[in-house]
Amino acid sequence: MPFAGIDMGIQNVKVVILDDDGKILARSISPSGFEPAKAAEQTFREALSNAGIRRDDIKHVTATGAGLDMALEADSTISMVAADAKAGVYLLPSARTVIDVGAEESRIVVCDERGNVLDFTLNERCAAGSGAFLEAMARALEVRIEEMGELSLKAKGTASISATCVIFGETDVVSLIHRQEPKHEIARAIYDALAERIISMVHRVGLKPSVILVGGVAKDIGFTAALRRKLEAEIFVPNYPEYAGALGAALHALAKAGGNIQ
Amino acid sequence: MDFKRSIKEKKYVVEISQREVEELRNSIRAAYDKVIADYVERMKRGWAGRPKVMDYFYEMADFSRREKELIEAKSEGKKIIGYTCVFAPVELILAADAIPVRVSCGLYEPAKIGNRIVPVEVCPVIRSTVGAKIIGLSPFLEQSDALITALTCDGMTKLSEIMSDYKPVWTICPPRLKDTEQSLSFWRSELLTLKANIEKLTGTKITGKSLRRAIERVHRANRVFRKLQNLRKEKPVIMGRDAMLVTQIAMWDDLERWTEKAELLCIELEERLKENNLACPPDTPRVMLTGSPIIWPDNWKLPNLIEEAKPQGIIVADELCSGDRFLYDPVGVDEWTFEDMFTALAERYLMPSTCPCFTSEAGNEDRVNWLINRVKEWRVEGVIYYIYRGCMLYAMEYMRIKHALDHLNVPTYYLDTDYTREDVGQIKTRVEAFLEMLKARIEI
Repeated sequence: MPFAGIDMGIQNVKVVILDDDGKILARSISPSGFEPAKAAEQTFREALSNAGIRRDDIKHVTATGAGLDMALEADSTISMVAADAKAGVYLLPSARTVIDVGAEESRIVVCDERGNVLDFTLNERCAAGSGAFLEAMARALEVRIEEMGELSLKAKGTASISATCVIFGETDVVSLIHRQEPKHEIARAIYDALAERIISMVHRVGLKPSVILVGGVAKDIGFTAALRRKLEAEIFVPNYPEYAGALGAALHALAKAGGNIQ
Repeated sequence: MDFKRSIKEKKYVVEISQREVEELRNSIRAAYDKVIADYVERMKRGWAGRPKVMDYFYEMADFSRREKELIEAKSEGKKIIGYTCVFAPVELILAADAIPVRVSCGLYEPAKIGNRIVPVEVCPVIRSTVGAKIIGLSPFLEQSDALITALTCDGMTKLSEIMSDYKPVWTICPPRLKDTEQSLSFWRSELLTLKANIEKLTGTKITGKSLRRAIERVHRANRVFRKLQNLRKEKPVIMGRDAMLVTQIAMWDDLERWTEKAELLCIELEERLKENNLACPPDTPRVMLTGSPIIWPDNWKLPNLIEEAKPQGIIVADELCSGDRFLYDPVGVDEWTFEDMFTALAERYLMPSTCPCFTSEAGNEDRVNWLINRVKEWRVEGVIYYIYRGCMLYAMEYMRIKHALDHLNVPTYYLDTDYTREDVGQIKTRVEAFLEMLKARIEI
């Protein structure tokens, strides 16, 4: 019997459905919008239809994410930190450090081989270490966020900004524009700043290889390139990194309701 | 001449109309009455089978009863001496037959008013205490005839100056190194000056006899204070936030009455320990708090979250100047001569202090040792390192403490917050993830 995980993210709701062997049957994603509960219901229905099953077929649903209280269908809940650890080890069995960079929050989770959390840290009270930073900077640079990554790859690394906070970052970007620094150089500086921020978080908990990068921002090639330039470790980026939370929740559902992963 | 006049003028006072002061005071007072009522209610709900004597502490949690008593004592000619920091030796205040009360502000709203004088980057306890003073909000601060402030961190140092616009302020300056040749003698002379100030204000001479009586009174409180902490070493017979409240009330209550009530509580808890009558399940993850002071009522934000979380945690110990450190160490007297007592008093308020204002080649070792001892003896399973923005010394000492605790294989979580209720959701996520991790570790 299948199991489901719902990740009630700040920007998107994500659903993953697993069969009782732990194989992924379906994924679905949609914007959280102003009515996250409705969005969750709809995303869940979509995932069910992608998997070709009915609601009654699902044995257990686990919710995670910032808005987990709004996932009405959930049988249990799990923190995003625990979900990251479970998903990280599932996607890369040797993973001991999971870096999750999301829309508003970033997490570094150190775990053991069974996906138990050993240590973690989050970007505290500040959006400078998350996707929101990139969005604000893309706006200042007047490029589409989807294009900023590609753009940054052309740069040599002649500019830099400080990423102590979104507001100061924006000021830095504006002054670089005034200095007529090319856009691609500024774009790279933006990714470098975010990567540095994340790396300082990694060092606060202590890096343990292997490293897996998940969360929506992991899809941004500008960011992954910056992180690879700066972090002295190999970084594995899975397909569909934005589903890590939902996957971790689904794995929790599976473990909780008695299924087995071989 | 001009210079002389200018230093007599107020240095920091802001222009604010009497009408605005009253409006702010009334609205904030109403808001914090609600916070106190709500938090007490939640504590009661969280510990349904609590001993009856807890009701006394819940009553004292509302400042108004003690405020009335202080007003009454003043009308009978007694002096109230406020202090901002646990470096102030309460024995000296008691020996002069005055009443000690701690006045650092644990209310969130006044911090915004404090911003009119102090920039937002500064620690919110300072901003809130300043804000409370501007609008005459804090009952104990208002009743104080004089203030003792310790020059520990930058915030406390400048707070002294700001407060001196309103009241007589006596600063005491702890040396930042404990064990140089001059440290103790310098500190002792600071306390002698303080003694003279107290005597002048109260008109009461502090004699060997009155000092001894005061030390012995505080000894009785020390014993009960320790007993309550020791009871938390074993199975959870008292919720952490309730124990923290009892501890904190010692900072404004009549010390004799507090000792008597806390003793009753301890007797009851000892019984409960024998009967295995617990406040929460014995396998609840055991948490210790360390870092910036957690001051009633608003800062109960974190203790509430920990003990109401899913999974639930229990606070079994802390290393807070607003908590377990307050009356833990007694004045260790050898000979009851004035000179010896005074040296012992100076030692007591310097040597055991784990305040991050101290440093040495080995770092702030006393703090590390306190934490290690607590972890071992109180069987602590996880440490939350609580910081509010602007609390530099505690923030900077984090990595040092984390390394020490890593060696004991105890996870530490750095929780960064501010004097605001807006981040409750965010903190809840973090606390629950941490407790979930502790729970999983216990189960492994």
